[in-house]
Amino acid sequence: MKITIVDYGMGNIKSIIGALSYLEVEEITVSNKLSELVSADKLILPGVGAFPMAMDNIIKLNIDKYLKDIVILGKKPILGICLGMQLMTDSSSEDLFTNGLGFIKGSVSNFRESNLKIPHMGFNQVNINNNSKLYKGLNNLSDFYFVHSFRMNSNVNINQSMCNYNGEFIASYEKDNIAGVQFHPELSQTNGLKLLNNFIKYF
Amino acid sequence: MLRKRLIFTLICNGGFFTQSRNFRLQKVGDISWLEKNYGFKDLAFSLDELVILDATREGRNISEFADILSRLVEDVFIPICAGGGIRCMKDAEKLFENGADKIILNTIIYENKDLVHDLIKKYGSQSVVASVDYKDNNVFINNGMQKLAVNLHDYISYIENIGVGELFLNSIENDGTGFGYDLKTAKEIANNISIPLIISGGAGNEKHLIEGLMTDRIDAVATANLFNFIGNGLPDARRRIISNNGNLAQWQ
Repeated sequence: MKITIVDYGMGNIKSIIGALSYLEVEEITVSNKLSELVSADKLILPGVGAFPMAMDNIIKLNIDKYLKDIVILGKKPILGICLGMQLMTDSSSEDLFTNGLGFIKGSVSNFRESNLKIPHMGFNQVNINNNSKLYKGLNNLSDFYFVHSFRMNSNVNINQSMCNYNGEFIASYEKDNIAGVQFHPELSQTNGLKLLNNFIKYF
Repeated sequence: MLRKRLIFTLICNGGFFTQSRNFRLQKVGDISWLEKNYGFKDLAFSLDELVILDATREGRNISEFADILSRLVEDVFIPICAGGGIRCMKDAEKLFENGADKIILNTIIYENKDLVHDLIKKYGSQSVVASVDYKDNNVFINNGMQKLAVNLHDYISYIENIGVGELFLNSIENDGTGFGYDLKTAKEIANNISIPLIISGGAGNEKHLIEGLMTDRIDAVATANLFNFIGNGLPDARRRIISNNGNLAQWQ
């Protein structure tokens, strides 16, 4: 099993590598080279930081074009984590309207409620979708570690599992070979390790 | 439901982990000692987050600290916040590269606001934690040695305006006493703050942790009390808090 973490210069990837090695993934690489991404069995799109800057980096590196071929046409399994999950949607209104990769129908916006503490930070419970593969073996309302100031919503069925922070938003989606999680499985103790293992096994 | 967080703070001094009392440091053991005697990785399974601070006062070496950090966080799958003595972009980079998910800043928030802005721009506000050491209504920087001429509440407004993601509020007076948190001050701050608040200083037993966790708008409680909580102390406390319907995350 070879997993390649897509490198576009943003995100703390050390903990993702740590979790994947703990799960005994044979080969873990970090790259933005086309050949590397093509030869991987699965991809992880990480990300911490701002949506516009991330898309900027992705476009500069041409990742948007070949990622689309690899993921949409080639059906290679991909897991987006946090900002990585958001980047695969249509767009975000963080700072200014920015188009995303457009792999998944949905958009990203801010938490509207005024006296809410932002970022949404800490472990929160996920209301698990019945058709989910990501959460196999995990109880409904399992806890995962979130840290984000913008959240995703969608009005179509993408097998979303929901989280509540003064209103519902998408904690994860799973559509064919594409999965995304708003939380950080690599920072979510044994629950997160199980979820990563499910991605490796079932996608 | 968003859970509250239980945080352990490891204080490192010249390669040794220390017990702090009112900011006076007592060396306890090095990293091998910690691994051997306390099964640190097991302990981490009772925590929501780990803060690792370098409190070395003379001959501080960020590379040495980064090595310890890197060794500590192996096979630990929770957010790691590291800091102590960050003075430039390179220091922060070093800690992020060695396993930190967040950095914790204290003195430079006062001395170099521009650097804090740059750090937020590069790593995002959620990765930058502001640590404030206070006694009475006064704020101290440089390991509690330098008193500022601004009161605590004004200083916290200043910090919020800079745009950091979290506040780590540490009572110098209660630090290491085991007498409990300074909830009076914590509550005043909690009512006026719009970013997550971590309180620290004084927890000596499970009851203190619960008092903090039960307080409205306090998001996390931290303890650095090696003697009282390491070993079975913290896992037991966490289990009991959860079985009494305390709002902490559960892992399968």
